[in-house]
Amino acid sequence: MPSLSQHIEAASALAIVASSHEPLLFISSDLTLIAASASFCQAFQVDPATIPGRPLSTVGNGEWDVPQLGSLLKATASGSATIEAYEFDLMRAGHPTRNLILNASRLEDGDEEHIRLLLAVTDVTVARAEAVHKDELIREKAILLQEVQHRVANSLQIIASILMQSARRVQNQEARGHLQDAHHRVISIAAVQRQLAMSSLGDVALRPYLVQLCESLGASMINDPVQLKIVATIDDSTVGATASVSLGLIVTELVINALKHAFPGHRPGAIEVNYRSDGKKWSLSVADNGVGMPTGTREVKPGLGTGIVEALTKQIGGVIEVRDARPGTIVAIVHDEVAVVGTAPMAAQ
Amino acid sequence: MNAIPKPKAVVLVVEDDGIIRMGALDLVRRAGFEAIEAANADEAIKILELRRDIHLVFTDVEMPGTMDGLKLSHYIRERWPPIKLIVASGRTIIEQSQLPEGALFYAKPYDDNDIVQSILKMVA
Repeated sequence: MPSLSQHIEAASALAIVASSHEPLLFISSDLTLIAASASFCQAFQVDPATIPGRPLSTVGNGEWDVPQLGSLLKATASGSATIEAYEFDLMRAGHPTRNLILNASRLEDGDEEHIRLLLAVTDVTVARAEAVHKDELIREKAILLQEVQHRVANSLQIIASILMQSARRVQNQEARGHLQDAHHRVISIAAVQRQLAMSSLGDVALRPYLVQLCESLGASMINDPVQLKIVATIDDSTVGATASVSLGLIVTELVINALKHAFPGHRPGAIEVNYRSDGKKWSLSVADNGVGMPTGTREVKPGLGTGIVEALTKQIGGVIEVRDARPGTIVAIVHDEVAVVGTAPMAAQ
Repeated sequence: MNAIPKPKAVVLVVEDDGIIRMGALDLVRRAGFEAIEAANADEAIKILELRRDIHLVFTDVEMPGTMDGLKLSHYIRERWPPIKLIVASGRTIIEQSQLPEGALFYAKPYDDNDIVQSILKMVA
């Protein structure tokens, strides 16, 4: 029963509370309920008729009777604290725990005797569960991606292993050369995979990739590193995965080609691999200071390597320029802003 | 030819994938070493307990059994400190700091020549 000192609440205030879409409690400073929104009663299975005059601690089966909440509300009523985004787990027998966010404000109309509290209750249980689920999915995806990368690396290792075992066994020198070249191509593609696995954006930084690729080619193909060197000068460009595979294979083919043909009879020298870009223009070149191209235009029949370079150059929108570097040869793959279509890939000297 | 031939260095290859193991054994033998094989860490430890002449262990990381290759490498460093270690993995996230001191890491697919060069340097 209302006490004699019962303050008369404005009917409009009670109506606003009752109709709030967000669960709301209108509470006196001694934590007695004055009104609750219909949304609150519905969400927490409370009979609206039992609300007025009831202590907060007895609402439902006493699940709101939590000492910390009580003292926070009292402190808010006295003006010494505020409840902002206070996280509260509502535990009721027979119901799953709800994760609630509480916000309370002190309402004062000049009458210090009749301080009111407005407690807003936001149920974030579903949102929390979704966030946890989303985190789990992201983690699962990362693990799956890692697993796929691991499998790709292992499969490439199996291929590389078989090629090298064949190369070591085969008697014919030309066949052995082809098997070793195939092995270099596999290693070149694997190096891109490794760079991709380390980048989160799916882009490949060309410098570490091509420098590592050249080191690996040098280590496996150069017998005397004092006599022959490969120097890679690569700018800060990053390119997409597909383009990086093409550029890496082109470098592999051109470097293998230079190592095979430019320095016969232990001739000393160097191979320079260069990549630079400027806006949409870019150029990749492999230059050697070896014996130069054979004289006479059709002397060497083009091999698989030439075919690979031509196909990949076309794929990435470049043109091939071959120049006599006196000494040696420069092969450049050039992409200008205006795509050059149908031009013969041989540039004038 | 009266010099007594130096005994070949012995390399233990630990790899669960049969084909990759075959390739690794082949590359070790072709480089002039004696190669013995284990398909997992438990097998490797049994061999290491029986044979005291192993100079170097070349191990994969992801393997079934009680230990992966990374744990195996630490175990070997603790129990048989003089044995040299080369670790290879298809996962690229292994950092030098995760490896025992002095161990070398190669990402798969490794280039056989790199492995041979490293073995030569480490057992020299």
